[in-house]
Amino acid sequence: MTQRNRLSHTQSASQSRRQPSTSAAQEEDDDTIFTQPSSTQVQKGLEKLTAAEVERKVAEVVQYFLVKDQKKVPVRRAELVKNVVKEYRNVYPEIIKRTARTLDQVFGLKLVEIDSKNHMYILVNNLEPADGASPINSPTSPKMGLLFVILSVVFMKGGVVRENLIWNTLKKLRVDPGEKHEEFGDVKRLVTDEFVRQRYLEYARIPHTEPIEHEFRWGQRADAEVSKAKILEFLGQLFEQEPQSWSQQYKEAHSSQASSSSQR
Amino acid sequence: MSRQMGDSHRRFLQTMMANGIIDEQGAKALYQHCCEVHSTQCAADRLDDFIEVINSKLQPMFMQIRKGMSEVTGYQHYALVNMAETDITRMSSDYADNELELFRKTMDLIVGSENGTASSTDILNSTDSMTTKKLKKSETEHLLSRFVQDNWLSEKRGEYTLSTRCIIEMEQYIRKMYPDQVKVCYICHNVAFQCQICEKPTCGIKIHNPCVARYFKGRPDPHCPACEEFWPHEIPEIRRPRSQSRR
Amino acid sequence: MLGAHVEVHPKKTHYKMKRARSGGDEDAPRQNGSAGRRTEDQHPGDAEGEGSDFGPADLQNNENDPSLRREIRSKYRELISSVQQNREDMLSPSNNKLTEVLEEANQLFKDVRQAREAALDAQLLVMATDLGKEKAGQLFSEGTAFDPAAFTEHLLSFMGINRLEEGDEEQQNGSTFGGYLPQDAWHRLSRRAECCFRTAPSFHYMMGSFHAEPPPPKQRIERQRKALTTEAKRTVPTQLKKMETSHQEATEKEVERILGCLKRYYEDDPASPISYFEFVIDPKSFARTVENIFHTSFLIRDDLARLYLNDEKLPCIAHVEEGEVEAEGSGRRKQCIMSLCEETWKEIIDAFDIQESMIPPPEVDDE
Repeated sequence: MTQRNRLSHTQSASQSRRQPSTSAAQEEDDDTIFTQPSSTQVQKGLEKLTAAEVERKVAEVVQYFLVKDQKKVPVRRAELVKNVVKEYRNVYPEIIKRTARTLDQVFGLKLVEIDSKNHMYILVNNLEPADGASPINSPTSPKMGLLFVILSVVFMKGGVVRENLIWNTLKKLRVDPGEKHEEFGDVKRLVTDEFVRQRYLEYARIPHTEPIEHEFRWGQRADAEVSKAKILEFLGQLFEQEPQSWSQQYKEAHSSQASSSSQR
Repeated sequence: MSRQMGDSHRRFLQTMMANGIIDEQGAKALYQHCCEVHSTQCAADRLDDFIEVINSKLQPMFMQIRKGMSEVTGYQHYALVNMAETDITRMSSDYADNELELFRKTMDLIVGSENGTASSTDILNSTDSMTTKKLKKSETEHLLSRFVQDNWLSEKRGEYTLSTRCIIEMEQYIRKMYPDQVKVCYICHNVAFQCQICEKPTCGIKIHNPCVARYFKGRPDPHCPACEEFWPHEIPEIRRPRSQSRR
Repeated sequence: MLGAHVEVHPKKTHYKMKRARSGGDEDAPRQNGSAGRRTEDQHPGDAEGEGSDFGPADLQNNENDPSLRREIRSKYRELISSVQQNREDMLSPSNNKLTEVLEEANQLFKDVRQAREAALDAQLLVMATDLGKEKAGQLFSEGTAFDPAAFTEHLLSFMGINRLEEGDEEQQNGSTFGGYLPQDAWHRLSRRAECCFRTAPSFHYMMGSFHAEPPPPKQRIERQRKALTTEAKRTVPTQLKKMETSHQEATEKEVERILGCLKRYYEDDPASPISYFEFVIDPKSFARTVENIFHTSFLIRDDLARLYLNDEKLPCIAHVEEGEVEAEGSGRRKQCIMSLCEETWKEIIDAFDIQESMIPPPEVDDE
């Protein structure tokens, strides 16, 4: 799985950069040179394009987001401009606006910019999970259970935990980061590489530790995608206690809940 | 025709994305469920209209919810398919290049076969002629089980066939790529892989097993609908949908 | 908790709290006031201790005995790593493991004479203080504290653990690892946890994921590979010879280690090409990158690995299994060379988004 990532990564990297030596610099240029065109520039640009041309480009960008979402790795703006938007970059704001609209109105998905500095986008579901059981049992990945455990521990322990707590917790659940797991493969790679690339987790070195230690935090995707209130609800069931009894977490869950739902 | 989509349509489409393919019964139940969740009107016989609304919006992205029949059960299914090959669609990362090559080799074998199957041994042997990075035996076996799990192939006792999902999505492609090998069902006119064949060499028409069952039902003395030759094969029973049949 | 522990062992737990604490802790004065373990000989300033355990002659011997020094350091390291490993258990209100560790450290400290040992002691002290602080924090935070150990127990029950059929599994870290999880344990958890996520469903397809035409034969790749190897032959050997004689042993060890890495990645997923750059580059160290490149070159020379270009003409490295060596290539020595400056190195890290080294840095043996 993670090796697959490596491959797809190599491919996408090469798509835009044939010769690594000169092209990395080129890539940087792209990101710095590419500033959002002003609204008058966009207006002018749109005048030169037919409605059908713009629509076709929007459809391509939608397709691109769907394909890139197969692996749940965020899309970088630079990559998007280079691979798809191309000569339409002068009307980029309009393209991205319409893309977001199509994703919302057709697919019920929200296009979220998770990193306004590096301009990265992810897709999040706009639809609430249905209360009643769906007649169709969609396939689930066991990885989601693993991710749930990690996110829960991080959240309940105040937002940041040392890696050892995570590894010990997983060991108790019969998942040893040092061994190959039947369902998860290389667990350490899944947790510290795949989940991190997908921006579910942040995995950072704790300064001045010897030997080196790391700590986990929620990644930007988790912030956009995961409901702390629902986690507390589930934990309340597991512990057979009221979610409110974890008063600090409860407060946090319900304030962040309010802010994320008002964004919609 | 271009009625607006609502959340019930979006929920239906999202479930199609997550599953790839759903049988007709499941689709009907899902349609009802989606309407209930979002408190919209639901007319039992309007499933195809409901899907048409979604399809009209999917069209610019070359996507579609398409209906097709299972060659094994004869039940109708709905699959969400991609309809075009572009630079963007080739960025799909579900399978590596050599894995896709093996898939095509498997398809070559199945389409080229008489009865629409390829044995695991033949597939394993076909890796010898791979032009991308060669797959080892264990890798090939693992990959084949992934194809089955992802619903692109079906497997029974070591014989692989194209899945319903695969046929629904790839019918056009197969017709185009294998024009000399593809035969269509004499009854339903869709491409036929797993089927019965008229034994008269000059005729040799193909009929899907479920189409055979329906066509010859109640005819004690079956003859080929094309050449009137005696139909020597066993006539299967028509399958009745079970109450809980899900893929 | 630390306070409670101090009361039980008032004499042994001085531990210089003032250094690590930022003040404001009501326990601090009492701890500073408690009898220290530093001896008069070493710390005349901390003279309130109870006198030395050693005579001057004793001290002399100990200070000069390298094996004893080494032993102390190694015991400290063991202690530090056990604290790191069992951090969570030590935090649990239901035991006094932290006390035990501190007692052990006190014993060790008696023999501390050199700066290196003192540094380890200080490191342990910082960790213990941290733990103590966190343990105390648990007592004062509002609401219920979250107990990860209880969480895992509840999860195991939810996932349907079968505790009846306990095998002869060992007890580990005091918690039983008995019982086994059913096949669908993680699926069961995923299905329930799903509603906490608003994950977008993704779209998968087969048609359109590959070129409709069969790919053309790939002769050009072979050609380029050959060109590369002949050029390499011309330029490298002298440099190699030099290295071979001076650092032969270290080099061989390192080459072995890197081969091990390559094999592991290959075995993990033999289908995926391994990008050469991602394999050799250490994003944290240019020097190690150069070393990796150097050592990897031996693998290629010895036919233990091969370099090739993928469809995008990017170099990939693959492990060559025994007996897999192509007939035409065997017997012919190959060597690859590449130049890399620090700037290119940085560019490649950016281009390939290399977060961490695939070849872990060699363990430094400081003994």
